[in-house]
Amino acid sequence: MHKINDYSKSREYFERASKVIPSGIYGHQGPAEGCYIPVEAFPFFSEKAQGTYFWDVDGNKFIDYMCAYGPNILGYNDSDVDAAAAAQRKIGDCITAPSTKMIEFAELLVDTVATADWSFFAKNGNDVTTMAVMASRAYTHRKKIIFFKGYYHGVSPWTQKIDYAGIIEEDVCNNIYLQWNDFDAIQATFDKYKGEIAAVIGQPYMHGNFKDNTLPEKDFWQKVRKLCTDNDTILIIDDVRAGFRLDIAGSDHYFGFEADLICFCKALANGYNVSALCGKNFLKNAVSSMSYTGSYWLSAVPFAAGIACITKMREQNIPKLLNEKGTKLKEGLINTAKKHGYDLHVSGAASLFYLRLADDPTLMLHQKWIAECVKRGVFFTSHHNHFVNAALSDEDIAETIEIADEAFTEIKK
Amino acid sequence: MNVITGKEEIYMKDSRTLAFINLYAILGNLSRLCELVPEARKLIENENVSLGIQVKNGPAATLCFNNGVCTIEDGVDNCNIKLPFSSPEKFNGMIDGTVKPFPSKGFTKIGFLLNTFTKLTDILPKYLKASEEDLKNEEFFKTSTILMLHVIAEAIAQIGNEDKVGKASASYIDDGIAKLGIGDELGVGIEVKDHRLKVIHTMPDKYLSYMRFNDISLARDLFDGKVNAVAAVGLGQVRIGGMISQIDNINRILDRVALYLA
Repeated sequence: MHKINDYSKSREYFERASKVIPSGIYGHQGPAEGCYIPVEAFPFFSEKAQGTYFWDVDGNKFIDYMCAYGPNILGYNDSDVDAAAAAQRKIGDCITAPSTKMIEFAELLVDTVATADWSFFAKNGNDVTTMAVMASRAYTHRKKIIFFKGYYHGVSPWTQKIDYAGIIEEDVCNNIYLQWNDFDAIQATFDKYKGEIAAVIGQPYMHGNFKDNTLPEKDFWQKVRKLCTDNDTILIIDDVRAGFRLDIAGSDHYFGFEADLICFCKALANGYNVSALCGKNFLKNAVSSMSYTGSYWLSAVPFAAGIACITKMREQNIPKLLNEKGTKLKEGLINTAKKHGYDLHVSGAASLFYLRLADDPTLMLHQKWIAECVKRGVFFTSHHNHFVNAALSDEDIAETIEIADEAFTEIKK
Repeated sequence: MNVITGKEEIYMKDSRTLAFINLYAILGNLSRLCELVPEARKLIENENVSLGIQVKNGPAATLCFNNGVCTIEDGVDNCNIKLPFSSPEKFNGMIDGTVKPFPSKGFTKIGFLLNTFTKLTDILPKYLKASEEDLKNEEFFKTSTILMLHVIAEAIAQIGNEDKVGKASASYIDDGIAKLGIGDELGVGIEVKDHRLKVIHTMPDKYLSYMRFNDISLARDLFDGKVNAVAAVGLGQVRIGGMISQIDNINRILDRVALYLA
């Protein structure tokens, strides 16, 4: 039996944080985002991390299936990536003229990502999804963008909805929201707004929360691709979340089509802060014409880390490895649930699996089970897809299943 | 959507939605006022009157006063006093005291309108816009907070059903009941079906999601805008659970309640 975690220090820190930081911890890692239910089951602050584990401020150790919400793909503090970053830091990082590491990194991405003829670097996923939409509008001189309901493309006003705090109608008035996998609706929208649609933006499959993740139906992307091509509309793939966990050449490559623009961040540099927009040649001039930059976007250390990370991911075929690990975990969890009489749905790709106990439509039973896992040292979240990293061992998977087993026993009481 | 001039010009709200809130959330809560406040109940204990309010291009409902009990029904078919309003703005004007209503039916019962109804509606602001002094009284504090919970819940439903931005939030809410509770004893349900919202003015037994304020003081602080719900969730003062997307979107509508009720 695993011990039950105590989070006294996390709570103390959170109260301290709440006094000087809006909502204590803001954004996706904040406890009010619906991923930590009940909040008492979760640690709020970390002390350190290594490989597939992190330790919170109370000294509790977790097998981490959130991987910093994606960036940790090789394992925390990967020695090769850290060595490359350290070497670059010694000679220069944020300098008046950019380092040639930027060129090396762009060349590596062009050689790695199927649809890439060029790369442009920024810091966060939101920077490059925003840039992709702006580039689409710059190229097409059109306004409207098609989204798929359940999307997440960042936090800029255009990515949010009319009812979000701080958003005005004009921010989102050119957004068209369609159901995922509904090609007929896309076709009808293209007919309705002929010559007006600048871009279709989508994640490679639907990662939406509170419901099972949904892969594209057969030929869905191929039909969307053709429709975009026929109508001179740009097809943007937001691969910030799934990038390099499905296919080293990009998730569009995995599903058998080519995006015009593809956005990467998270797994790009194993936690070093860099994002990339890659695209086809015909969009290069449009991107060149844009006014778009940031204070730290040309820093060299993250480029060096990214080069080491991509190189290692290529050498070790990381997407395949993560899929194998994820599949082993998925099968173990499903079987354990079955043993207790529960119907655990594991959806999405195995390398970024989504969990849902289907026995209770209110999700309260699911929330209880997740909470019991976390209290025993497996860091799942209530409602978000999870992430697998390369440092996850068979022993870690076995321990995870053991803890899941204990958690199922607990929720039956 | 109308742009309201003056200090609210940067925000947008519409007078039609406000009319629905004024009728169902404000006047509709006379029923709970009569239930909870003896002074209010006494005013209607010998009354048997049904007051219909019909707003052109807006809501229509009847307030029934029957021997100390007040209820609200949709439509004005069965009223014995009818107040017609030519626009939502005119009706909203009656609520804020700038427009005097004239009945089109029930002239013999005008005394009810001028006396009892006026006295009754005069009690409402005492509880809904309570003074610091009144709130020091524990019983008053509790009654006022319960009334606010019901007003806010009804306003959420009206905004989700009528307001352009509110409807966008409602379009993302799954069918089922969301429970808004204070402690373990007080609560209301918001029932969602096909993205239309309806308030259940009692604590629901079964629900798809919940938001529970730990205690009545915290609820009061949240209603008064002194505490933020997101921060309170992190501190464990507000509990959320179940189908969180329901609560999330209801919270977005809740953000607009203050805009209309300010």
